[in-house]
Amino acid sequence: MKILNCPLNGPRNISEFVYGGEVKQMPDPASCTDREWAEYVFYHNNGTGVVREWWLHAPSGYWFIAERHRVSDEVVRTYDPSELEQSEFFAAPPADVQEARQ
Amino acid sequence: MTDTMVTPGDTLARSGLYRKIADAEFLSTPESAIAASYSADDSEQARNCGLCDLTPVIRTGWRGKTAAEHLQSLGYPVPENPNQALTKDSGETLVRLSRTEFWVLGSLQDMGTAVTEAARQPSPGSDCYPLFCQDSHAWLMLSGDHCAGVMAKLCGVDMRAQSFPPGSVAQTSVARINAIVVHHQVAGTDVFSLLFDAGYHAYLWDVLQDAMAEFSGAPVGVRAFGI
Amino acid sequence: MTGERLNAPMGLLINRDQPVSFSFEGRHYRGYAGDSIASALIGNGQWLMSRSFKYHRPRSVLTMAGQDANTLVQLASDPNVLADRTPVSEALRVEGQNYAGSLEGDRDALLNHFGRFMPVGFYYRAFYKPKGIWDWWEKAIRKKAGLGVVDLNATAGYHDKEFLHYDVVIIGAGPAGLSAALTAADAGVSVLLVDENPVIGGALTYSRFDPAGVHADGLRNELSEKVLNHTNIRVMTEATCNAWFTDNWLPVIQGKRLYKVRAKECIVAAGAYEQHVVFRNNDLPGVMMCSAADRLMKLYAVRPGKKAVILAGNDEAYLTALALAEQGVHVAALIDMRDKAQDPALADAVAEACINIKTGMTVYEALPQAGNKHIRAVDVRAITGQGKVADQGEIIDCDLLCMSAGFMPAYQLLCQAGARLSYDDERARFEITDLQPHLHIAGSVNGVYTLNAVLADGKAKALKALELLGKAPAEPVPAVHCEKQMNYHWPIFKHPQAKEFVDFDEDLQIKDIVNATRIGYRDVQLVKRFSTVGMGPSQGRHSALPTARLVADATERSVSETGVTTARPPFNAEKLAVIAGRAFDPYRQSAMHHRHVELGAKMIPAGSWQRPAFYGAAENRLECIAKEAHAVRNKVAVIDVSTLGGIELRGPDAAEFMNRIYTFGFLKQAVGRTRYAVLTNEQGVVIDDGVSCRFAEDCFYVTATTTGVDSVYRNMTRWNAMWRLRVDISNVTSAFAAVNLAGPDSRKVLEKITDLDVSAQAFPYLDCHEADIKTAAGNIPARLLRVGFVGELGYEIHVPSRYGEALWDVVMQAGAEFGITPFGVETQRLLRLEKGHIIVSQDTDGMSHPGELSLGWAINRKKPFFVGCRSVDIVMNAKQTRKLVGFTLPADLRHKGLKPEEGHIVLRGDDISGNITSCEYSPALDAIIGLGYVGIDQADTGSQFRIRVSGGHEVQAVVTELPFYDADNKRQEM
Repeated sequence: MKILNCPLNGPRNISEFVYGGEVKQMPDPASCTDREWAEYVFYHNNGTGVVREWWLHAPSGYWFIAERHRVSDEVVRTYDPSELEQSEFFAAPPADVQEARQ
Repeated sequence: MTDTMVTPGDTLARSGLYRKIADAEFLSTPESAIAASYSADDSEQARNCGLCDLTPVIRTGWRGKTAAEHLQSLGYPVPENPNQALTKDSGETLVRLSRTEFWVLGSLQDMGTAVTEAARQPSPGSDCYPLFCQDSHAWLMLSGDHCAGVMAKLCGVDMRAQSFPPGSVAQTSVARINAIVVHHQVAGTDVFSLLFDAGYHAYLWDVLQDAMAEFSGAPVGVRAFGI
Repeated sequence: MTGERLNAPMGLLINRDQPVSFSFEGRHYRGYAGDSIASALIGNGQWLMSRSFKYHRPRSVLTMAGQDANTLVQLASDPNVLADRTPVSEALRVEGQNYAGSLEGDRDALLNHFGRFMPVGFYYRAFYKPKGIWDWWEKAIRKKAGLGVVDLNATAGYHDKEFLHYDVVIIGAGPAGLSAALTAADAGVSVLLVDENPVIGGALTYSRFDPAGVHADGLRNELSEKVLNHTNIRVMTEATCNAWFTDNWLPVIQGKRLYKVRAKECIVAAGAYEQHVVFRNNDLPGVMMCSAADRLMKLYAVRPGKKAVILAGNDEAYLTALALAEQGVHVAALIDMRDKAQDPALADAVAEACINIKTGMTVYEALPQAGNKHIRAVDVRAITGQGKVADQGEIIDCDLLCMSAGFMPAYQLLCQAGARLSYDDERARFEITDLQPHLHIAGSVNGVYTLNAVLADGKAKALKALELLGKAPAEPVPAVHCEKQMNYHWPIFKHPQAKEFVDFDEDLQIKDIVNATRIGYRDVQLVKRFSTVGMGPSQGRHSALPTARLVADATERSVSETGVTTARPPFNAEKLAVIAGRAFDPYRQSAMHHRHVELGAKMIPAGSWQRPAFYGAAENRLECIAKEAHAVRNKVAVIDVSTLGGIELRGPDAAEFMNRIYTFGFLKQAVGRTRYAVLTNEQGVVIDDGVSCRFAEDCFYVTATTTGVDSVYRNMTRWNAMWRLRVDISNVTSAFAAVNLAGPDSRKVLEKITDLDVSAQAFPYLDCHEADIKTAAGNIPARLLRVGFVGELGYEIHVPSRYGEALWDVVMQAGAEFGITPFGVETQRLLRLEKGHIIVSQDTDGMSHPGELSLGWAINRKKPFFVGCRSVDIVMNAKQTRKLVGFTLPADLRHKGLKPEEGHIVLRGDDISGNITSCEYSPALDAIIGLGYVGIDQADTGSQFRIRVSGGHEVQAVVTELPFYDADNKRQEM
C-alpha cells in the first residue's frame, strides 16, 4: 500500500485518503463560452509529467495539494492549498464575479 | 463531582453505551453517569489492559484563527504543533488537531466541571468557534501496558512508545472508522483516549473488547484511576 | 513403527523422545515430533503421496521444502495441505487426494496411457462442441482433475490481523539474512526476520558447504544464537511473506494471523530454488532434488534410499553425494552433465569416497518399478549436443536419483516490486535488476552462492539499508565476489516416448510446450495461458525456466529475449479466512436506538446507520406501515431522524458561502426561517438536498441526506479551501439527535413539552426556533423546525445527542394521551411519496438536472454564482428529453403481482424512454403511486405510458399532478 505524506498528519497509508480530482482553473462562468465551460467540467488532461491533485486526509478532514508524477506515480510534494494563489483556481475570483454582476 | 451512585438510564444526558456496561457501578457526573468500578481489582486491570467509557466526561473545543489565544486567555497551555497534546496538572488534556483547532478533554478529577466553566466564557468576537465534540464524538479510554498492542490490531499507525510517546496525537482510521487517538497519562498510567463519531460508540466498544482479549483486557471504571 | 532413522546430528528438527502416531490412507504410522508428514511417511518406507493432476501418476517428494505440489494431501477439514511442510501430530488423519478407489490402486492411472489423446490446450479445444456439452464434461473433468475435498461444515475459526512497523525487514533467515539482520540490529535499528521454516539458518540447516561437512553447523549455531538473543531483532518462523506491495508493504502470514508489515527498508534474502532435469520419467517417486535428499537426512534423519545415482549440473550435487555416502547410502554413480566439476578439490573428495564420476553424460530415462511406483534404475547416456544423447547407454540400478540442474533465484516478491529478472544465456546466470530504492537483495537470490560471499552480501545490503536510514556505522562495505557456476545451460532431454515433465503440477511435457509455440504462441505469457504451465500450486518455481528455454529454442531466440513468466501475489496459496480475518463492519446507532429495539422495530441499514424500517414483525410489514401511516395522517406519530446529515456554518461569510454552494438565494433568508436547499455539482446534476435554517445572521444549520452528508461536507471544505471565505464548517450529524413529530395532533404534544409559543401564528410553517424541551429531570436545549416532508403538521426537534434518549422518552410520554405512534423509514418513504417529495439518489441519478426534477423554483437564476450554475444554465436552456413525473395505477394490480418496482422501464413504442424510481401502494389514496422518468412527450398530466414490470408484463400508468395527497398543502401548513 502506497504511503502519502499529509502536510498535517505526516506519512500515512493511502487508504486514509480520498482523491479529490485534478487542480483546475475554473473559467469565469459569467463570460466564458459553453465550450470553455464544458472543457473545464468534462475534459481531463491525460498527459504525462507532474500533475497537481486534491487529496483529502479523511480522518482529519484536511484537504491538501499533492504534486504527483503520472508515469512513476511518485508524489513529488504535498502542501497546504493556501500556498496556491486563488488565481490558480479561478480565472476570475468569485468575489469579483459577484461584484461585477451586482 | 459528587460521590453518589446513580442509575445511568435515569439521567438527562446518557452515554449510548450504558446498557452494555450495566454490570458496573455508576457515579454521577455533572449531567450524566459514569462507570465507577466493575470489580475490586480494577486498578490492576487498568494498568494491564483496561477500557473505560469516558463519554460522559465534559470536553469542548474551539476552532479558528484566534482559538489559540482564547485558549491561553483561559489559562490552558497550548501545544506547539498540530497532533500534540499537553496535560495540565489539574488533569485536563489539551489536544491540538490543526493550526487552528483545539480540544480540551476534561479531567477525571472533576469529570470535566472546570471545562464546563471554560466553555461558558464567551469566545472572542471573530474567528473562534466552539466545537460540538461533547456530542459529536464518543470517548473511550484504553489503558495499560498493552495499548499499542491492542491498537496494532486495529490501526495502521505505529503507536509503540518510541514512535508515539505520551503527548502524541493521531487522527487516523481505527477499525475502519475515523478516530482521534491521544496518548496521555492518567494517574501515572499510560492511556490512549479514542475520540470518534458518537454513532459508532457500540461498534468500537465491541471491536476493542475483541482486540483486547488476547491481552486479558476488560472494562474498567474510573475508580481504577484513583477517582 | 517409526522406521529406522539416521543417528544424530542428523534429524535437526525431530525430537526422538517424543514419538507420535498418525494415519495415512487408513494405515497407522509412527513418526517423531518435528517430523513433517512427508518425512514421517518416507521414514516408514511409504513413498507414494499423491497422484498427478492429469495422468494420475504416482508422485512423492520432490523438494521437501513445500515448493512443489507432489505432496498435496488431505486433512480432515483442510484440503491441499503440503505434506513436506505440515508437521505430524498425534492422531492426525491424513488421506491422499485426486484418485479413484485408493491411492495405491488408482483406477484413473489408466489415463497415463491416453496421454497422446490429451494434448495441451485440450480442454479449450475438445469439450466445447456441440454447444452445452461443456456442462457435462466439466463435472467429469473436475472429478478427475480435482484436488482435495472441501469440508463444507468447516468453520474458519478466529483469524485476525496486526500491523507491524520495522526499520528493516528481512525475508529469509539463511546465512545472508542472518548476516544482514545482525549488521542492521547492531547499528541499533529494529529488525524483523521472517522465515517459513521452523528453525532459522536456511541452507545452513541442511546443506553441506564443504567436503568434510563441518563448517555449516558451527556457523549456524553461532549466528542463530546471536540473532535469537538480539534485543533489536524479532524472529518470525513458520511465517511467509506472501507478496510485496508498494512502499514495502508486506503481508506476512503466520498461523491464523495476517501481519501487515511496513518496512522502511526491506532485504529479500529468500534464496534460490533448485531446478530439476527434464528427462523421461523424471517424476517417479525416488527422483528428487539434491537438496530434498539433504533435507531428509539432515532435518529428519531419514535415509532417502539404499542405492543412489546423482545427476549433477553443478558442484552442489557433489556435496550431496558426499552427504549420502557418509550416511551409508551406496552412491552408484555421479553423472555430471558438464565436462568437469568447477572445483577440482571437490571432485577429488568424491572420487576418494569411491564414487564413480561420469562427466559429459546425463540420465536419459528413469526406469520404473511396476505401476510406476518407484524408480528402479536409470538409463545413462553420453550427451552429444544440446539436448541430444548417444543411441546406447548404460543401465544403472538405483532406488534414488538426486538431481540438480541449477538454481533459480526466488524472484517472485521482487518481480511484484517491478524488478527485472534477466538471464545471461552465455553464462546461464540470472540477474535481478531495477530494484526499488528501499528494496535490497542478498545471497543466492542475488546470484551469490559461496558462503563467505553470501555472508558478505548480507552485511553489505544491511549497510546499504542503514545508510538510507541515516544510521550507517563507520564500517567499510565488504566486496562481494562469487564466480560459482550454478546452472547447466540445457538440462532438457527429449525422449520419443515423452513423459519428460517440465511442469509436475500440470503434467506438462516437452512436447506440450513446444506444441504451444507451433500453434503460434511465441510469448511465454501466452504459452502459459494456453498450456497452463506454471499455473499449478507451485506457480512455476520449477517450470518457468525450462519453459523459457524451450520457448526460446523453438522460436530461435535466447532466454533473455523470451523472458520468464511474471509472478503475481500471492506467493503461496493463502486461505480466504486469513484475508478476511476479523471482519470490521462499522455501523452507527442513534442515541434512541435501544428505544426502537424495545418497541420491536425492524432495523435496516441506511448508509452506515441502523434505522427502524417499521415497528413490528417482518411478516406484518405492510400492515405495520399502513398503521403507522394512518397515525401520521390522522393523529400523531414520531420518527427518529437523528441520522439526517447536519452541517453548521458560522462566520461573517456564512450566508455568502450558502449562496455559492446551494442553488437557492440565501443572503436574504430571514433569521428564524428555513429554506429548501438543493445542491448541484459542477456538471449541474442534483447531488443532495436539505433544509437550511438560519439561527443568526452568521449561523446556518443545514441538513443533508443521511448518505450524502459526508460528501457534501467534503465538497464544502474543498470549495472553501479555494474561496477562503470567513466561515467555519462543521459536520454536526452525530452531534444532534432528532425526531420528527408529525400529524394533526403534533402541536398538542409539542406545547406540552416547551414553553415556546407553538401556535400557528407564532410558529408558522417553515419557521425555526431555539427553545428548551422540558423534562422532569431538567431542560434540554433544542432546535425546532416546522417542516412538511410527510405532508402533515410537523416539527423536527433537534437536540445534542447526549439528550437524544431523554428526548424520545419525553415525546412518547407527552404523546401518550394522543395515542402517539412511532413510525419507521419505510412508512416515511410512503408518506413523502404521497406528497411527491423526491429523495435525492433514489429519485435522481447521475444525469438528473433541476429542470428534469421540476426544481426550477429552487434555483436562483439571478444570483451571480453557485456551484454548477453555468452547467444548470446550459442544460436548462437546452432541449429537455425526460422528466420525473408522478404516476398512478389501479390499486388491484398489486394483488396480481403487477406493481411496478424501482428500476422497471418506461416504454415509448418499442424504445425505453425512462425508468421507475419509487413506487408504493398508498392506503390513503387506495392507489398505486410512483415517481419515474418518462420521455418529455409523455410527461403531460393525464397522458398514459407503459411500464414493463416483472415477468415481462406491461401495465398502463397515468401521469398525475404532484403532490398526490393534499394538493394545496393545507395540512402541513395548518
